[in-house]
Amino acid sequence: MIGSRRGQRLVAELPITTMVLVILGFVISGSLGAFAYFLPAFMTAFRTTGQKSDIPVASATIVAATPAPAADAPFTVLLLGSDDDQKFDPDHVLTQSMILVRVEPAAKHVTMLSIPRDLWVPLSTGGSAKIDAAYAYGGPKAAIATVERDFHVHIDEYVWIGLRGLTRMIDLLGGVDVVTSNPVLDDFYPNDVDSRFPYGITRVAVLPGPQHLNGKMALEYVRSRHSDLRGDFGRSFRQQQVLLALRAKTKYLSPADLPDLATVLNGEFKTSMGLDRIRHLLPVARQVAPEAVTQIVLVSGYTSAEQIDGQYALVPIWARILPLVHQSFP
Amino acid sequence: MMRRGLTLIVLLAMVAFGVGVYARLASFKTRGVVAASPNAPPRVSPKFRLPGTMFLAQGGSIYRLQDGLFRQIATGNWTQPVLSPDHSQLVAVARFADESDLYLLDLNGNIQRQLTHNASRVVDFDHWSFYPRFSPDGQTLFYSWDPKNQDNLYRVDLTIYAMPVAGPQSRARSWTEPYFWTGGDVQPVPLRSGSLLYTKFDISDQTNQPYSRIWLTTRAGAVGKALTLPQDNCAQPALSPDETMLAMICTAGGQTGQLVVAPFNGTTLGPLRHLIDGQLCAAPAWSPDGNGLAYFAATGASGHFQLFYLAVPPAPSPSPSASTAASSSPKTSTTPSARPTPSPAPLVPVQVSYDLDFDATAAPAWSAS
Repeated sequence: MIGSRRGQRLVAELPITTMVLVILGFVISGSLGAFAYFLPAFMTAFRTTGQKSDIPVASATIVAATPAPAADAPFTVLLLGSDDDQKFDPDHVLTQSMILVRVEPAAKHVTMLSIPRDLWVPLSTGGSAKIDAAYAYGGPKAAIATVERDFHVHIDEYVWIGLRGLTRMIDLLGGVDVVTSNPVLDDFYPNDVDSRFPYGITRVAVLPGPQHLNGKMALEYVRSRHSDLRGDFGRSFRQQQVLLALRAKTKYLSPADLPDLATVLNGEFKTSMGLDRIRHLLPVARQVAPEAVTQIVLVSGYTSAEQIDGQYALVPIWARILPLVHQSFP
Repeated sequence: MMRRGLTLIVLLAMVAFGVGVYARLASFKTRGVVAASPNAPPRVSPKFRLPGTMFLAQGGSIYRLQDGLFRQIATGNWTQPVLSPDHSQLVAVARFADESDLYLLDLNGNIQRQLTHNASRVVDFDHWSFYPRFSPDGQTLFYSWDPKNQDNLYRVDLTIYAMPVAGPQSRARSWTEPYFWTGGDVQPVPLRSGSLLYTKFDISDQTNQPYSRIWLTTRAGAVGKALTLPQDNCAQPALSPDETMLAMICTAGGQTGQLVVAPFNGTTLGPLRHLIDGQLCAAPAWSPDGNGLAYFAATGASGHFQLFYLAVPPAPSPSPSASTAASSSPKTSTTPSARPTPSPAPLVPVQVSYDLDFDATAAPAWSAS
């Protein structure tokens, strides 16, 4: 009783400034707690997003010369998926996957066009080679410039993700549900992710039908191509399939998941998109219905297989490719 | 002194508040999606009790579901358990990094015998064995296996083989001829007549997309015929105990898994009847009395596959007609086939398991005993 009276007297004696300081202390403490929680996300966002310096000069000029696009203005993203194993210098990796994505936020429509990795094209860095080498020679800047020049399209943004990043992200999301199209078997699958012998091979067998794939299985499904009648085309179809399954899973994410996501993508992800655009893009990704996604793969009718410089390559038939591309990509 | 104590308490409260905010934010993580780890079946009691005994695979283990309780009977790398016709033994697949083998197990999960020997010294020469299934007399084991192609080692297509259960793998002989570079033939279902139902994969000339059909062949090496159309994209055949109804999963080329049944007279299928459309269904298995189907379906934010049961109402027209058969030639198929007919009323499946993560490529094995 006495102690209680003393306490009441003490509180009554506290000047208002002290009370304000105490409240401020709690606010600062809470803010620090929140800041500590989101710190990995902030750091990764700072390191990996808004990498405008990598966008080719031509594109950067266009962006600078025109007013900032409206939040619901359509835009084109180049998705790049790379080997990032020990066989390559981290800054000179091939792109296993190149997908042009046209996002129309107002119409809630998305178009995905897979570019075959073996497509033999003039590179922006000079000479001709398979298009998967563009990134290896000049990073995202060269990859974007090459696609822009050869396909006559304008690319607003790029997203690059490494194999490990894709695997970890799928695992973080708890796996993805996919109806695997057919038995995907490969006796010469590269054993190069987290392996002591990156030039080794292993065997994979992804069984057909509806199933829940973890990161490793999903990677095997999207990466294998040796025993598919359609070769890289088949793999492109599968890559788009898993991308859409990933998109479906993101609708369950909350902002509280961002630090974990940032941790698994650390060093495995970079994009020219700023946080503001990503913030606008996420709701669109959730709202787009599966039937509002148009998937295009440049199958064999759009290319011809040839041996060039002793390499298997696909020679583009531009007269067929460009009209198809320009139906969806300005 | 009192003032100092109070200051210390307030400072500690501030620190605790900061930590609390951190912990509270962490509690908003999407449970069941981010880093979710499904419970092991022994901890879970099914909400709905199924009759008889069922064997299921999850995360490399085999579980027995009996009297409303899951019990783990084998751990390691197991999948695709199947029961012998007399319900006294199991055959299951032990899957490793580069190969898989079939093993004979007792009903408690103890290994009786290794049936196939697919490991070799060189990784390229390993083999896979999947989808084991006993013949109705229990003497023969059918399964998918990947023979090596000497002309092109890159081509790996599963082929259905049959071997004596009591004999060596060297006595296995192939039953089917897969289409090259498609992934091949899977999910054999031997019939009492000696014929074989299975799933055959092909790639469409028109769409350049893979598709699957339920296929029937009467003897080893025979060409056989398709029972379903390419656009229905059906697989995972499950035959009712009296062999008059066939359940399967049809995707129609999309990212859905529709549970479909059709009457079957031993040679042709009747009209396809879609039972479940709105779920991603997989791996159907008939109840021992033939009145219902168990299957897996993806649920909730986790997307893990749970066990469901559906009582199957009688078919409106049980006898299939010859005109419903699909063409025997997949490449030139123009014959009109059985088209899906809508069910008169929506069927309500019962969710049997929650928070588990069953292997959707391994159908449950279900017996009355």
